[in-house]
Amino acid sequence: MESVIVQKMEQMPTKLIRTILSAGILCFLLSCSSKNISTRFYYQNQKALDRIEESYKKLYPRQPFNVAFTDKSFTTVSLQIITDTLTYIYLFEVNEPRLTDTLLKYHLDAPKVVELIKDIQAIRCTWINNYNYYVDEKKNSLIFMSIKPMAISSPFTYKKYYILTYFPQPQYFDSAGHLLDKRKLSRLRKINGEIFKRINDKVCYTISGSFR
Amino acid sequence: MKECVLTYTIDNLPLDKLISNKLKETGIPGKPVILLSVICFCIISQSMATSGCQPVADTMVTTTQQQAIEFVEKINELESSPFWPNIKPALFLQNLKTTIHKPISIYPGNATNFCGYGALTYLLLQDDPLGYAKLLLQLYRNGKATFSNVNFHPPFALRKAVGTLKFKGILDIHPAEQMWFLTLADHFKGYLNFFNHKYDPGDENRFWAAVNYSKFNRMVRTLLHYKINARGADLVRPRISDPYEYISEKMKTGIVVLFINNRIVHKKDHTTLKLGVPTHYIVAEKISEENNVITFVYWDYGGKTLLQLSPAFFKRIIFGISYCTKNGTNAN
Repeated sequence: MESVIVQKMEQMPTKLIRTILSAGILCFLLSCSSKNISTRFYYQNQKALDRIEESYKKLYPRQPFNVAFTDKSFTTVSLQIITDTLTYIYLFEVNEPRLTDTLLKYHLDAPKVVELIKDIQAIRCTWINNYNYYVDEKKNSLIFMSIKPMAISSPFTYKKYYILTYFPQPQYFDSAGHLLDKRKLSRLRKINGEIFKRINDKVCYTISGSFR
Repeated sequence: MKECVLTYTIDNLPLDKLISNKLKETGIPGKPVILLSVICFCIISQSMATSGCQPVADTMVTTTQQQAIEFVEKINELESSPFWPNIKPALFLQNLKTTIHKPISIYPGNATNFCGYGALTYLLLQDDPLGYAKLLLQLYRNGKATFSNVNFHPPFALRKAVGTLKFKGILDIHPAEQMWFLTLADHFKGYLNFFNHKYDPGDENRFWAAVNYSKFNRMVRTLLHYKINARGADLVRPRISDPYEYISEKMKTGIVVLFINNRIVHKKDHTTLKLGVPTHYIVAEKISEENNVITFVYWDYGGKTLLQLSPAFFKRIIFGISYCTKNGTNAN
């Protein structure tokens, strides 16, 4: 009996070390999605991201549409064209002639949309969309961009997408930089169920497990 | 032979995350597998329990959209209701009128579990639009209402929440729809609502509002003047060799609601392994096939969508097919 107790006591430190080591490794793997990454990502790619936002903002009013890359290789583009009566969902290869034909059919500026799609593909943007939200019963819009960066594509990370939102006007934030619903209200504004943080007055970010 | 069916709808979140969240919320110890076992048990028991569901009597007379329009257009103003402290009367009336004029505009909201109630309401607006308008006004004015022998009496916590839902898209400014979806979720319960039976703020996104397939069909049978022939199951696809043929045939004589796995139609992430479970209700509007490509038009979320897909993919996404015909016609 005594020898069993002694044995157990000898085993304990090893077990403890193993547990601590395992927990440490797990924490390291899970902590890959540091929230600082997305702000850094924005500033590193600001020119390209702002150009995409600017281009989409100009093209959207002519014929509402959104673009998604739903495959890992970023070669198949999912194009949603929203008309008054129907939303059309198409899947194309980026260089497919059908893509241009379809854009022309819906009176979109085909060369510019194709250029936009290629920019989106180059920066690994998975989705760009015009998102409507309501403040005091008034409709507002923002541009919603999801990016799948290489940095957090590890299989151990649950949150995999940087989400950027471009507002047309400056927003209100609390002292921790969280996006607020209104100036006089401390209620956080959620978009797609996510809480956003400030990058600058008009651009916010979050990290999410889904791109839309 | 009529199959009775059940499934669950869990929008926007992976099943494992939802289960983990639910376990955290309910304080139930253990792993998701426990809940899955409970669900499986419920599927089996509920299948047995619902296998004898009967259609309602063939005696109902339904109304037209024109009748409903005339009815709502006579109302110029509404007084605020003491039962719904956060509903603005003008906004409520405007929402009701829009819905009656344009049933397609019904919008269950971003990130909610209301898609089943949305599909049901879309059917109700085609079946009995005047009934819908009267029901919503009765509910608004009295805080309770009776429709198709169902007594709706939502609790105060829920009534207080109506008009305050935020970040749900245009549903934010549609208090009539908020009131109706929350009331439906409060009244009709399925096994997915077992651990979250009572409304708390935010429950519109949680299991409290989830609609399993059996519950959806039960709601249609109870509230609408339809017979339903439902094929499919919560976790098992219907045994139909050619769903395209089956659905296009049924659409000639009735309305078809599909319970689909929307997570592979409308991908939200790049995960290769996805649970093959249905998550979304849609109403079929038009279907055709050419060169082995199915062109499918359906209603969901305030509009119609056209999607082209292969027959194999079409078969893969469908878990439930509810074929609805007016009472008095043959639904088999």
